[in-house]
Amino acid sequence: MLEYAWLIPVFPFAAFILIALLPKRTLWWEDGAVYAIGGALGAMCLSFLVVWDVVMGDTLIDGSQRFEWLVVGDFSVTFGIWIDQLSAVMLVVVSVVGTLVVFYSGGYMHGEGETRRRYYAEIMLFISVMYGLVIADNYLLMFIFWELVGLCSYLLIGFWYERPSAASAAKRAFIVTRVGDIMFMAGIIILFKYVGSLDFADLFSGAGVAAVPSDMMILATALIFGGAIGKSAQFPLHEWLPDAMEGPTTVSALIHAATMVKAGVYLTARSYPLLVQAPESLLFVAAIGGITALVAATAALAQNDIKRVLAYSTISQLGYMTLGLGAGGYLVIHADSAAGYSAATFHLMNHAFFKALLFLCAGSVIHAVGTNDMRQMGGLGKVMKITSLTMLIGSLAIAGMPPLSGFWSKDEVLAAVWHAGEFDPAFMMLWVMGIATAFLTAFYMFRMWFMTFAGEPRSDYHAHESPRIMTVPLMILAGLAVVSGFALFIGDGFKAFMEGSIDGLLAGAGHESVFDVAVEIFTDPLTYLTLALAIVGIVLAWRMYYVPGFDRSVFAKGFNGKLQRALENRWYISKFYDDFAIKVVYAASLVADAFDRHVIDGIVNGFAYLGGNMGQVLRRLQNGNVQRYTGLIVVGICLLLILVLYVLPWGGW
Amino acid sequence: MIPIEYWLVFSSLLFVIGAYGVLTRRNAIVVLMCIEIMLNAANINLVMFSSYHSTLHTTVDSTGQVFALFSIAIAAAEVAVGLAIILSVYRRYQTVDVDKINILRW
Repeated sequence: MLEYAWLIPVFPFAAFILIALLPKRTLWWEDGAVYAIGGALGAMCLSFLVVWDVVMGDTLIDGSQRFEWLVVGDFSVTFGIWIDQLSAVMLVVVSVVGTLVVFYSGGYMHGEGETRRRYYAEIMLFISVMYGLVIADNYLLMFIFWELVGLCSYLLIGFWYERPSAASAAKRAFIVTRVGDIMFMAGIIILFKYVGSLDFADLFSGAGVAAVPSDMMILATALIFGGAIGKSAQFPLHEWLPDAMEGPTTVSALIHAATMVKAGVYLTARSYPLLVQAPESLLFVAAIGGITALVAATAALAQNDIKRVLAYSTISQLGYMTLGLGAGGYLVIHADSAAGYSAATFHLMNHAFFKALLFLCAGSVIHAVGTNDMRQMGGLGKVMKITSLTMLIGSLAIAGMPPLSGFWSKDEVLAAVWHAGEFDPAFMMLWVMGIATAFLTAFYMFRMWFMTFAGEPRSDYHAHESPRIMTVPLMILAGLAVVSGFALFIGDGFKAFMEGSIDGLLAGAGHESVFDVAVEIFTDPLTYLTLALAIVGIVLAWRMYYVPGFDRSVFAKGFNGKLQRALENRWYISKFYDDFAIKVVYAASLVADAFDRHVIDGIVNGFAYLGGNMGQVLRRLQNGNVQRYTGLIVVGICLLLILVLYVLPWGGW
Repeated sequence: MIPIEYWLVFSSLLFVIGAYGVLTRRNAIVVLMCIEIMLNAANINLVMFSSYHSTLHTTVDSTGQVFALFSIAIAAAEVAVGLAIILSVYRRYQTVDVDKINILRW
């Protein structure tokens, strides 16, 4: 089936074209949802067939599916398909979450009227280019799709563009991610300069890697990771993601939790053959991941908007994945082990399922209550049984409770970081940040859950359970959040599966058996430490936000309330950017304005003035006396004759 | 046979006299006459060089003579046009002083 993989993005793209161009009458149910569901389902079925082939041990990385796109002389740009285990994981995530979100949209977007057509068209375009991104076989093609998913993200964040906050959030997301995109582009330009090709097959081969000098490799990989910093909302470019919550919740679930923000992690994982050549970059990747995880987890503590809590949680979990990838690179170099790499990709997949679930649950709540503010919710568990239960499963999964999926992957990531600490002590500090994040994650997730579903209603709302079309996807995702962790133990296990994608980097280390993996997890005291911290976090949240009469102002008063305010203001990072834009950019614009006005305009006006004045002087020559002109002609001819007859021969011409 | 240098000196003098007249005389008719003198200096050169060429190569080549005839014919036409212009200028300004006819200027 692999040779038909190029058809996967074609299905949603066809749906996009149909929804965008068909006459209104023929859109049928929900203004085009039928075509959207059809496109998503078609792509999902094909993806599953492709993934099945990969699971059976088949890959498509030899460039046999490649065609020329642009030929300039003897240089050609080719496009092709690259399907390995990593692509397969992404295909599973995109197809499952994409399809469920499209179904869910049928209920969630019901009240939007005719704008649903725009919504479905944009969602289908997004799914199509996201598939393209994960099956692209060179950096150029990947970059094109990378930009296209950014465009779709912009369009969908700004879906309610008549709201100024949504319009500015869309712009912000677009501009901030662009900073990363430029770095990504600079990175691939450096690679192209040395290797002369952007195909993965050429770049990842021994000859391709050897062609890049080691200092340039560090620069190129760090810049490519810069693209991931922008797209995956890593510190310090993470502030666009909470703002991106202005879009519909389905968009947040699909684009800003499960798929597009994973593109940065995917890019980093994809670039592993290059990254392991540059340990400095790996440490940078891990450090950014660790800082992001902790900073975002703390910022999530004090948010009152249910979607913003989830957004910060997403950033924090993405930080985990990056941290895992950075640590995994050290394990590849020093221990011939793909543990970190597989842990990060495993967390990527699990997180996609439980975070999409959490977002869709939040969407269900918002749909029912009509507000994002958790202070006005409370007591929803009684009226929204399915939503509250599925969200509880999602929260337990992200908090890392066994046997839900988050437990396995988070534990694997932390174990990999701990293990990498043997080779560089910096990872020990990052590991501490990791477990602190695990504790905070459990706390803020249950703070959110208790504030939303437990206790008594804090405002006058008339909530009811969402329709079946919304709750069924929730139940499917909750099921996945429970079982996807067991992928670690199916067949040869997820670890052995992912090793296939970077086996060129491993010196033929024997596979760990599934049994060994399980033993390792359950005999490691660190597993129980993380678990204990998570349980403490949940109990603390229960004590603070469920048991009545708890005086929360004790915490608010700490550090004279400065800490509380800093958290509520998201560590002032957003404010810093605003101030930066206002003060620094404004000052720079003033300088530029003065330069333009005085120097540039001065030069232009000076030339005009000079021309005018010279004209004033020279026009005196034009006095109308023909004899004067004739005289000048005669004198001129005499001078020319003297020049030609005497001066030039004398000079040797 | 008169040596060629004589002819060259003669035609040069004629040309310079004509040019001097064109540059200094105020009467437009005299200016026109001086132009004729310059033209005839060129005609003399054409005839003279034609003759010299034939002598040098002992052939009969009358191309230069024919050119001189053409030149004379064109000079006649030029005089007719020039006199017509002077006449209309005189009608307009009641003068043929070229210093006075200087409206075409800044």
